[in-house]
Amino acid sequence: MLIYFQQIVNGLMLGSIYAMVAVALTLGMGILRFLNFSIPGLFMIGGMLTWALVRDAVPWPLAAGAALLMAAVASLVVELFTWRWMRKADEFVPLVSSMAFLILFENLAVAYWGSDLQSLPQLFAGADWRVAGLVISVPQVAGLILSIVLIAGLSLILRKTRLGRALRTIAEDADTALLLGIPIHRIVPSVFLISGIFAALSGVLFAVNYRQVHPFMGEALGLKGISAMVVGGMGNIWGAIAGGLIIGCAEVMSIDLFGADFVDISVYGLLLLILMVRPTGLFGAPAGARA
Amino acid sequence: MSGYVEGILVLLAINVVFAYGAFLPIAAGQLNLGIAGFAAIGGYVSAFLSNNAAVPVPVAILVGGLAAAMVALAVAVPVLRTRGIYLALATFALGEIVRAAILNIELVGGAAGYPVVAFIRFPTIAAFAAGVAVVVWLLFATRFGIAITAVHDDERVADLMGLNVRAFQVAAFALGAGFAGIGGGLYAHHFSYVEAQYFGITLSISIVLFVLFGGTQSVLGPLLGATVFTLLPELLRGSAQWRYVFFASIVIVVMVLRPQGLVTGVQMPRLFRDHRERARTGRAA
Amino acid sequence: MNSTLPILALENVSKRFGGLHVVDDLSFSLSGGTCSALIGPNGAGKTTVFNLVTGVYSIDTGRVLLDGNDISSMPSRQRIYHGIARNFQNIRLMAHLSALENVLVGQHCRNSGWRGVLQPVNLVPRNRWREEARAALADAGLAQYERAAVGGLPYGLQKRIELVRALMAKPRLLLLDEPAAGLNPRETEELRERLAVVGRERGISMLVVEHDMNFVGALCAHVIVLNFGRRIAEGTPDRIRDDPLVREAYLGVQAEPRTLQSHAS
Repeated sequence: MLIYFQQIVNGLMLGSIYAMVAVALTLGMGILRFLNFSIPGLFMIGGMLTWALVRDAVPWPLAAGAALLMAAVASLVVELFTWRWMRKADEFVPLVSSMAFLILFENLAVAYWGSDLQSLPQLFAGADWRVAGLVISVPQVAGLILSIVLIAGLSLILRKTRLGRALRTIAEDADTALLLGIPIHRIVPSVFLISGIFAALSGVLFAVNYRQVHPFMGEALGLKGISAMVVGGMGNIWGAIAGGLIIGCAEVMSIDLFGADFVDISVYGLLLLILMVRPTGLFGAPAGARA
Repeated sequence: MSGYVEGILVLLAINVVFAYGAFLPIAAGQLNLGIAGFAAIGGYVSAFLSNNAAVPVPVAILVGGLAAAMVALAVAVPVLRTRGIYLALATFALGEIVRAAILNIELVGGAAGYPVVAFIRFPTIAAFAAGVAVVVWLLFATRFGIAITAVHDDERVADLMGLNVRAFQVAAFALGAGFAGIGGGLYAHHFSYVEAQYFGITLSISIVLFVLFGGTQSVLGPLLGATVFTLLPELLRGSAQWRYVFFASIVIVVMVLRPQGLVTGVQMPRLFRDHRERARTGRAA
Repeated sequence: MNSTLPILALENVSKRFGGLHVVDDLSFSLSGGTCSALIGPNGAGKTTVFNLVTGVYSIDTGRVLLDGNDISSMPSRQRIYHGIARNFQNIRLMAHLSALENVLVGQHCRNSGWRGVLQPVNLVPRNRWREEARAALADAGLAQYERAAVGGLPYGLQKRIELVRALMAKPRLLLLDEPAAGLNPRETEELRERLAVVGRERGISMLVVEHDMNFVGALCAHVIVLNFGRRIAEGTPDRIRDDPLVREAYLGVQAEPRTLQSHAS
């Protein structure tokens, strides 16, 4: 019984990381109808840059900050080439360009750091809570809380601020937003920026907590964020969180029940099932990012 | 022919086969992001047959392609009920599931990969590539090609014109998967090894990228895309990573400048020109 | 063909979207070989009627009869095989196909099945289907645009190509949604002549949605007027012109429906 709860705790911790990536993806999906495949790449940049700087004796908060900064810059570059300079062609095209960015980031990482799995040192030695027989890692809890706080903050921004209103208008109808005088070209970068930072932060949290990074970690983990986004409901931020937590728990439980080999089948099987049966996800909204 | 040149040409031929595998569903309006999974099916099935059942390699490869097409057919109907981005994601999930499933089949080596005994050289591979290309060209010279493009352009009107939209989409999807399976079989029997890790999302994305880069409005597009993807990096002589960096950068730039890809214009270059009736208005840009 | 049965009959057809009755208890019938017009202010439900007859929308109540046969639940794809073809208010040609290939699409219902799908229309130069399509384009004065990608052609040309495509299906009932919209007077007159000839020579029944009452008056002997999804008048063009209900529907005050021509000239 205790093991069951421990699994849930572990699942929630992992899930909070998926949730951040899912939120990052949901922003693009909900506001711009754009599936940003570069997000897993930004996740990886967050994680690997943190590792690389920590390896060079940079204190981890600074390393994390630098990683986030780099990811922010990268996300703006992505915006330029997948959105701003795009002329409307097949609807696939921005998606395709974002996939190209993923390949670009991954292979740059391999070129610089090699393709091996890299480890981070233990940064928070012995910082575990033991509560009622459960082991809860404090950094992971901090990460979970941070995720929730940030997502709640994002939700507030979307609901209460001018920027948020502008974003929701764009989500409803980009042409109307233009007519209303909303400066789309100045606002859209903020979507990429916020989602890029969320993704990178998620990568930082992963690196710091699970202490393993490699250039293709974006594929292993970031793509599960896509599952989380779909399961929770495309375009719905709180749904993305729910999706992330569900996928995290599903993954942990499936490792326990079926063994690590079947994790991918479970997670992607769940994704496929949801897509075929209820594509708008469990809490999905068909259009517009709901706060 | 030197081993080096043969290696490049083999890769080119296999990429051409993969390209047409991705091209068919895209021409019908669907993105198959799980195409590498179907290539894996073809690779493993053909390898298993030639390793264990004394089947001549070309037959084994064809059967591998057929197996991939059958799987695609089985999943096409429920999966193709989804649309647009949902379809792309569903095919992506499918590809990952196939790969993960294969990793668990100890009979074919599981995570360690599966060695392949039989070996084929460039002439055989080139023959397959030429065969695939010719089949696609011929198909697009028939009403099938027009129907596929019609379905891509306007499903509603195609339906009202009497076309069975779903049937054409399933056909394009399954046929494309079959070609991908053939490509997988070619790969397995030349590199003497198949491992499921290779057939992942990165491969699917790469294939889709060079097909879209080459242009999906014409049957020549996939050929050009595969050629550029295979040959251009050779000019760079860098490591594999830098080639991918270069390739990805080129795709990004081309997508901005020319999102319809390199080869456009009418779908099917006329095999027989009737010079008296040349169109004055010419082709689209 | 049974000449006593109307080729098309709507019986108490209704269609609702949400709470709104877009088509409300509508009944009318068209005799074979004639041209009828369906007119009414914008939003009266005319295009919805077309969508109901072609099966794009399903009927809530009532029936649609083709030659006396109930086709209300026939899938949209099948209807062209039974002789119903249409054009579209916003031209809907296949942008990535040439003019000739678009016309070839029109033939599909006559050349489907395995034989049809594998018909080498773009391969064999003297393929009979290709020749038929080329002849149809030539007949409409469009031979020189055969190979042009339709997306780049002027509006008037695209409209004509769309008509050729619809006729290529050899329909018995042709639904035309604002075929003269956006055409200048000369093009409109040419269209009217063409339709009259086509209707006469091939015995095609037509149902035309139009705002140009001169066009309607010269082409159609039978006019049905809709407003708010209901039939408010029916009869010959002259009778309709004088009907006070019709005038009221269009402008609310006395005005000749005749003045409501397309402003595209």
